Amino acid sequence: MKLLFRTCLALLICTVAGPGEADTIVGSRHNLSASGPGPVTSGSETQICIFCHTPHQSSPVAPLWNRRSPGLNYVPYSSSTAIATPGQPTGDSLLCLSCHDGTIALGEVLSRGSDIVMNGGTITMPVGSSLIGTNLMQDHPISFAYSGTLASQNGELRDPGTLRPEFRLDASGQLQCTTCHDAHDNQFGNFLVWPNSRSQLCVECHQKTGWSLSPHNLSASAWNGVFPDPWPASDAATVIDNACGNCHLPHNAIGGPRLLQYSLEEDNCNACHNGNVAAENVMADFNKLSVHPVADTSLVHDPTEPGTVVNRHVECADCHDPHAARAGTPPINGVLTNVRGIDLSGGEVDPAGSSYEICFRCHADNLNPGQNLTPRQHDQQNTRLEFQLTNPSFHPVAGVGRNADVPSLIDPMSVTSIIECTDCHDSDSSESAGGAGPSGPHGSIFAPLLVRRYDTLDNTPESSSAYALCYTCHSRNSLLNDASFAEHDRHIRRENAPCNACHDPHGISSTQGNSVNNTHLINFDTTIVSPNGNGQLRFVDEGRFSGSCDLLCHGEDHVNENY
Amino acid sequence: MTNKRTRLIAKSAAAPVALIFTLAVIAGTASAGTIAGSAHDFSSINNDGQICVNCHTPHSADTTVATAPLWNHDVTSTTFLLYSSPTMNSAPGQPTGSSVLCLSCHDGTVAVDSFGGNAGVDFIAPGDEHYIGTDLSDDHPISITYDSALANADPGLNDPSATTVTIGLGGDKTNTGTVSNLLLPADQVQCSSCHDVHNGFVPPAEPDLLVVSRTNSSICFTCHNK
Repeated sequence: MKLLFRTCLALLICTVAGPGEADTIVGSRHNLSASGPGPVTSGSETQICIFCHTPHQSSPVAPLWNRRSPGLNYVPYSSSTAIATPGQPTGDSLLCLSCHDGTIALGEVLSRGSDIVMNGGTITMPVGSSLIGTNLMQDHPISFAYSGTLASQNGELRDPGTLRPEFRLDASGQLQCTTCHDAHDNQFGNFLVWPNSRSQLCVECHQKTGWSLSPHNLSASAWNGVFPDPWPASDAATVIDNACGNCHLPHNAIGGPRLLQYSLEEDNCNACHNGNVAAENVMADFNKLSVHPVADTSLVHDPTEPGTVVNRHVECADCHDPHAARAGTPPINGVLTNVRGIDLSGGEVDPAGSSYEICFRCHADNLNPGQNLTPRQHDQQNTRLEFQLTNPSFHPVAGVGRNADVPSLIDPMSVTSIIECTDCHDSDSSESAGGAGPSGPHGSIFAPLLVRRYDTLDNTPESSSAYALCYTCHSRNSLLNDASFAEHDRHIRRENAPCNACHDPHGISSTQGNSVNNTHLINFDTTIVSPNGNGQLRFVDEGRFSGSCDLLCHGEDHVNENY
Repeated sequence: MTNKRTRLIAKSAAAPVALIFTLAVIAGTASAGTIAGSAHDFSSINNDGQICVNCHTPHSADTTVATAPLWNHDVTSTTFLLYSSPTMNSAPGQPTGSSVLCLSCHDGTVAVDSFGGNAGVDFIAPGDEHYIGTDLSDDHPISITYDSALANADPGLNDPSATTVTIGLGGDKTNTGTVSNLLLPADQVQCSSCHDVHNGFVPPAEPDLLVVSRTNSSICFTCHNK
């Protein structure tokens, strides 16, 4: 068949181009001779092989190479997550680069006294996707030993001994350009050795955890046509067909060693999650008043950083593994699949088993945790300490709460319920907020990234909306009818004191509070509540629905004021 | 003889009538199908104007050379540096067969006029486009077995026993047959696989005595399935 094809070619010059070119070099764009079908050809040269090979007086490099070496002036690929450390290119890759790095004229061959003249004044590789250049930081690594040891150390690479025979390592076991490309055969496009629809070629080696269940690998969603094009370098029209190519480029990826399409981390997610491909516009939430500020930092996040984030930042990838994220239900929300965390005792867990462990990466033991919005009697910036199960009181995030009598809880909530950080910290337009927007603590019009309104200023007129956050679980009716604390209605409705004045919504660390003064999440807002004339500022738990206070609030001295 | 005389006359630049032929010789496009006037017409370097004598003699030939008849030229005793490639499915040994005879001039160790008891003085020297030298690592492998089994092991090769080739297409001499039969003596790739020393089966105007045209790299694709 090939011979037949060549016979045809000899009679009439074929002009087939693009993916699906013939499986011979003759019909491919690597035929740079006058008969070549591609964009770069010579009008005067009729020999095809001569651009790379010569039968006599070749370079010392096999196979009968007819071009000089481009030297070793490359910026090699390196990455904090790569176990292999490629140096300067070696072997066959240097042969490819003798054209594709753009430093040597395409027509400069050893067997000719002068360069073969190319059409259109072309000298070196024209600017475009075929020009690799000498900076290899933006290209898939080459010229490194792809060994079984490497594969097992990496944990997400196939053992090279089990690769299909089309994927060839060189004689020394190194991965080269020729592992993915066959310069003589363009039947699959881009001279690939295997079709790359749905990233078949990539996943031959890369076995990413969770990928088989990821919507990034399975979704049939397509671009809605609103610019910008999420996949400018691709012909594929759906998420499933782009697969790895949704985010990654094998070459000329300006997103650096992660080979991402965009250099700013969040831009890679934005391409689809801006409402143009994915059903929900997550990125819009980042324009709200209170956000996880993914746009504030760039190139700070690193996958190898400690579980407890040191250089304060947040990127999408701090909470999501784009290879593993999927739909799913507790114990951990599927979109948080395969993400690291810090557990209740401060140890790193990989992957996190509960969503709060992911929050603890930034909101627990960090050296610069940020400022609390409310100054309190016991100020605590380490959220992990606030949720310890040994604390005098805490919202039941890491375990069942301590209070057996919470009459305000709205069914199905009960004293044995467990809640998540995201039950309070979520988008104001999420489904749980009654909206139609995406869930997740990306952004909210209510600070600090709260799903519903939670007014904290003194003298706030009570309403169902002012404390909508609390009233989601705690019945407004029950509270205003004083079902537990007999003076709730007086404080909240008549005195216009916010819930936040007395209650610390996370919890009170046992390192600061105690089970006499800090049950029921009591930890006073010191901008509203201050010591009484005796210099006392305290709540005293005196048993079920009973207690007393010593404090000054709204100009009224409380001295052993009990209920 | 006409051709020989033409060249001699032309050398003295005395006969404009002969100039057309001379230019043809210089350009390497001898009359198709004849050694006379070809690159292997040695009449100009032999005092007696003989064409064939550098390689052949009708009498007292070297009977140790079996691959060419009535051999007359001194044979190279070089141990050659060999071609190798990690992607080859075979490795050549020292040159064998007729390739040794070609190299007896083209390796540069034996003079072109080294025959009949004369050491000779006319060497193919480095820098000459016809110089192969003793380092064959930069030359297409020769003296290797190329059969169906090799083609089966290397999909980049055509099956030589199933692939048809026409040599000397359009020349005075032409032949069609399998690659095995026409190009591979004893299933071996030799110099003669690509080059016809006598300028016999060479397409018109084809330089370097190639048996198949280099246009569109046809000579390469005769064997290489790329």
